[in-house]
Amino acid sequence: MSTPVIQISDLTRRYGRDRGIDKINLQVEEGEIFGFIGPNGAGKSTTIRVLLNLLFPTAGSARIMGFDIVRDSKKIRSRTGYIPSEASPWPDMAAREFLLYCASFYGVPRADRKIIELMEVFDIEPGRKISNLSSGNRKKLSIIQSLLHSPGLLIVDEPTTGLDPLMQQRFFDLLRSENRRGMTVFFSSHTLSDVQMLCGRVAIIKEGRIINVEAIETLRKKQLKNIRIEFIDTVPENLADLPGMENGVSVSGKSMKFTWSGDMKSLIAALSGKDIADITVEEPSLEEIFMHYYN
Amino acid sequence: MNRGLFLRELRSNAMALLVWTAVITFLTTATMSLYGIFLENNAKILAMVSILPEGALQFKGVSDINDLFSVLGFYSANNVIYMLVLGSIYSIVLSSNILLKEEYGRTAEFLLSWPVTRGQVFFSKLAVVVINIVAINLIITVAGYISLETCKKEPYNIDAFLIMSLYTLLLHLFFAGLGLFISVLVRKPRPVTTLSVALVMVLYFIFTISNITPDLSWAGYVSPYKFIDLDVVNPAYRIEPVNALYLTICPFLLIFISRRIYLRKDIYL
Repeated sequence: MSTPVIQISDLTRRYGRDRGIDKINLQVEEGEIFGFIGPNGAGKSTTIRVLLNLLFPTAGSARIMGFDIVRDSKKIRSRTGYIPSEASPWPDMAAREFLLYCASFYGVPRADRKIIELMEVFDIEPGRKISNLSSGNRKKLSIIQSLLHSPGLLIVDEPTTGLDPLMQQRFFDLLRSENRRGMTVFFSSHTLSDVQMLCGRVAIIKEGRIINVEAIETLRKKQLKNIRIEFIDTVPENLADLPGMENGVSVSGKSMKFTWSGDMKSLIAALSGKDIADITVEEPSLEEIFMHYYN
Repeated sequence: MNRGLFLRELRSNAMALLVWTAVITFLTTATMSLYGIFLENNAKILAMVSILPEGALQFKGVSDINDLFSVLGFYSANNVIYMLVLGSIYSIVLSSNILLKEEYGRTAEFLLSWPVTRGQVFFSKLAVVVINIVAINLIITVAGYISLETCKKEPYNIDAFLIMSLYTLLLHLFFAGLGLFISVLVRKPRPVTTLSVALVMVLYFIFTISNITPDLSWAGYVSPYKFIDLDVVNPAYRIEPVNALYLTICPFLLIFISRRIYLRKDIYL
């Protein structure tokens, strides 16, 4: 079995007494597009910054492509691309100048040709000063710089912020095509639709801790169901208190709506003998599954 | 050292170097052009100085008014403000921002995610600081020499001029080290320009006060200015080994410690 591209073991980072991330364990395999989701402040960016050695871990360790994130940081960075959440390249540079500057660190052969190609894909004028670019165009530059050296691993932090839908689509197409060529992607986002569209597996982080790592499909096929029941008369008493009935139970007149996470047999048993007019069972959206974990 | 980063830094700091050099050169040469008028009004100046509070001249590093009537004494008195104070401000502002600007400008998220070690970043930027400081000192020394040669009415001690220029360079390197040290201690990324300028002014003020007030002369040793010998008119003027050693070792120590801290520094953005 090949070495995982990212191997995180009990990785902890505290900010004084404040929580950053706490004993994170993760494994990302080669060729995956791995989602990393959580709300703002959950610890996504902290995890990434520790992986890139911008921050030092308080405890635990991590390896990327077999290299230690602290000792072998330069080796890791020569094989990794990174798209930061807020793209702020040097404002005094022109777009092409910035990309050539980046390419000089990696020693990219025929960098100019690759830069022109990618700038055409993302529709950026090479001579425009970065200080005159919109946040979306800066994000595009950030994307291009991360891919210039054809990295084995791409770490992205909220990559679609500021991109219009067309550019998002081009970016996703590019990610998929690079992934097919073997690039692993660590995709951190709080936009579930992006994660759902791209990723095979996902880790959910909450308050600095990983609370679940699942394949997107498995997550969808979890026991969670959205259920709507229409009764002939009024909604029976105490039904809303059944264990397994998630928050957000809404009862109005003769109908009730809820998300069910328990054993289906016990729900059927509880409903047997009740005067039911209609019952609808639906798969929840990823958004609802996500909220389930967060509540 | 990383060549790309070094060249980029050199370019991005060129304008500031140009402006500071032009300003200090202009001030130095413009003031030296007044030397002739100063000599012609010898009596009036002596009368004016006699009503100044004791120690006012000390502010310009002058212990005896008669020193001002020699061309080198006159140059030295102005050099204090222009080179020893303004030049030190330039040095500390340059060095305290050169690493930190990547953090408060959030460009560190690019730079430090590329294949370059912290040590390479540190040395590339340090090299730019040193080159800029040497450059500004060289240009202003040449401009000073031309001014002295143009304005002199009688011969002056050129060795004393060169020694004073060397002291100035060492002082600037001291402040460069201090600037780097401050910048690596800053946790929350923000410019430290105001703090740096204030530090130069406070250290110069301490030096002046310690010169005026005999009871506080010990306090002067807190300031690097205390280790600059400004008595250029004195025929025995020479490099004091202790002073030169202090002004050489301190920047080295500050730079060495700064590098150690920077290698382990958390980059908050």
